[in-house]
Amino acid sequence: MGKFSQLIQDVIRLCAKYLPMYLSGMKNTVLLALIGTVLGCIIGFICGVLNAIPYDTNAPLGRRVLIRTLRAVIRGYVEVFRGTPMVLQAVFIYYALPYFTDGAARFSSVWAASILVVSINTGAYMTESVRGGIISVDPGQVEGAMAIGLTHIQAMMYVILPQAVRNILPQIGNNYIINLKDTSVMFMISFTDFFAVHRGVVGATYSYFPSAVIEMIGYLTMTLISSFLLRKVEQRMEGSSSFELVVSDPLTLTSGVYRHPVSEELFKERSRDYKGKD
Amino acid sequence: MEMEPILEVRHLSKTFGTNPVLKDINFNICRGDVISVIGPSGSGKSTLLRCINLLETPTSGTILFRGKDITGLGNEVFAYRAKVGMVFQSFNLFDNLSVIDNCTLGQIRVLHRSREEAQEYARQILSLVGMAPYCNAKPRQLSGGQKQRVAIARAMALDPEVILFDEPTSALDPELVGEVLDVMRELAEQGMTMAVVTHEMAFARQVSSRVVFMDEGVIMEEGDPEELFTDPRNERTREFLGRYLNQ
Repeated sequence: MGKFSQLIQDVIRLCAKYLPMYLSGMKNTVLLALIGTVLGCIIGFICGVLNAIPYDTNAPLGRRVLIRTLRAVIRGYVEVFRGTPMVLQAVFIYYALPYFTDGAARFSSVWAASILVVSINTGAYMTESVRGGIISVDPGQVEGAMAIGLTHIQAMMYVILPQAVRNILPQIGNNYIINLKDTSVMFMISFTDFFAVHRGVVGATYSYFPSAVIEMIGYLTMTLISSFLLRKVEQRMEGSSSFELVVSDPLTLTSGVYRHPVSEELFKERSRDYKGKD
Repeated sequence: MEMEPILEVRHLSKTFGTNPVLKDINFNICRGDVISVIGPSGSGKSTLLRCINLLETPTSGTILFRGKDITGLGNEVFAYRAKVGMVFQSFNLFDNLSVIDNCTLGQIRVLHRSREEAQEYARQILSLVGMAPYCNAKPRQLSGGQKQRVAIARAMALDPEVILFDEPTSALDPELVGEVLDVMRELAEQGMTMAVVTHEMAFARQVSSRVVFMDEGVIMEEGDPEELFTDPRNERTREFLGRYLNQ
């Protein structure tokens, strides 16, 4: 038990001295993950939707070449950024600019570089998620949209994407939580996130383990709060969970089914002045 | 009553891979026609409707809509599809939209009607099919018969010149078939031009002005329903209708 009470004391001691640094690290981590995920989603949606443009073998050659090229470019982007570690991407992008310009141009802030890396990385994953979300929408929905004369873009906007978003919402949350943790590699380009604070603190105090405990608790707190909030959002998007049939209205039972005993006319509600319930 | 045809199908063929599904189909749809297309499964009935609506691209042949070939249309295809309504076997209502939004989407986006105008018109049409009280319901809350009536309303809301029905009652349980057929019967009485792929022989016989019998991608026989159902000329038609003829 002695070790545990010592640990608690160490943690309290560290907190007393470095709490503002830890907190500002957490703030940076949350901000970077949030901005990166939002921008990544935008990239993912754009790429995913472009990827879903139907390839029509009867279309003019120029259009077919364009679609093929577009798909190849997106494919390449996804494979490269999904297939390399984010820590390497960070270093790669951060040092590419000064290398090519002989030091004349460099990222003015690590924030810009970090946001760029996280967004591009998340975008690669989201592209695939969006593609999956679009594929998982019943093809009949597209046919229904085509049949009333909607264009591909209109069908996407009003029918397919709203349904796809619901399918990929858990994936967006997943990416956000992954980003909360994985932004810890941004210390490589001297971004001061939560994990970078740990490195700073242990550099000064050598209390590796107590600081790691604080980090563990801090990261868990951030991810648990995030999952809780994401679940709330999902529930809201889902709407009423009721799959009950609307059978309470007596008109359905009679409309067009039974005939009037005297006039032999079909029952129906012809009230043209019906204004709905809203 | 000879009238100018709305749709003329000329030498239409459709091949999936090496499998010919439609072979040299010729037929017309005139204003006020109610055409029932009957035939065994896999005979190409549905593909014929889907070709007319350009959901499938015909392999060869022409389809004239009011005298104009629609098989080579570019961006006009969207306006054309709005003039030719389609009702599917599996309803294909937009699951993310309420009943009334299902009926206004095309009016607003394709016909460019104002939202108020579209909603007003959608309510009128929905009350024709007995679905006005469900304006704000989502499709998943409706029974199959109700969904199909909304789907019919969605097609009608665009004021199409002809509505194509692709086995509209095949996915419904027997108790719900009646309410959909009643709506269709009423449409027919009001003079709506319709082409119906169906297995409901009673409907084909009583409601339609003309019956087309298809088998193996070919129109085997076409004619007056009473004649075709009582005294089919073609041997294959006789065989197919055997069960009904004996009744």
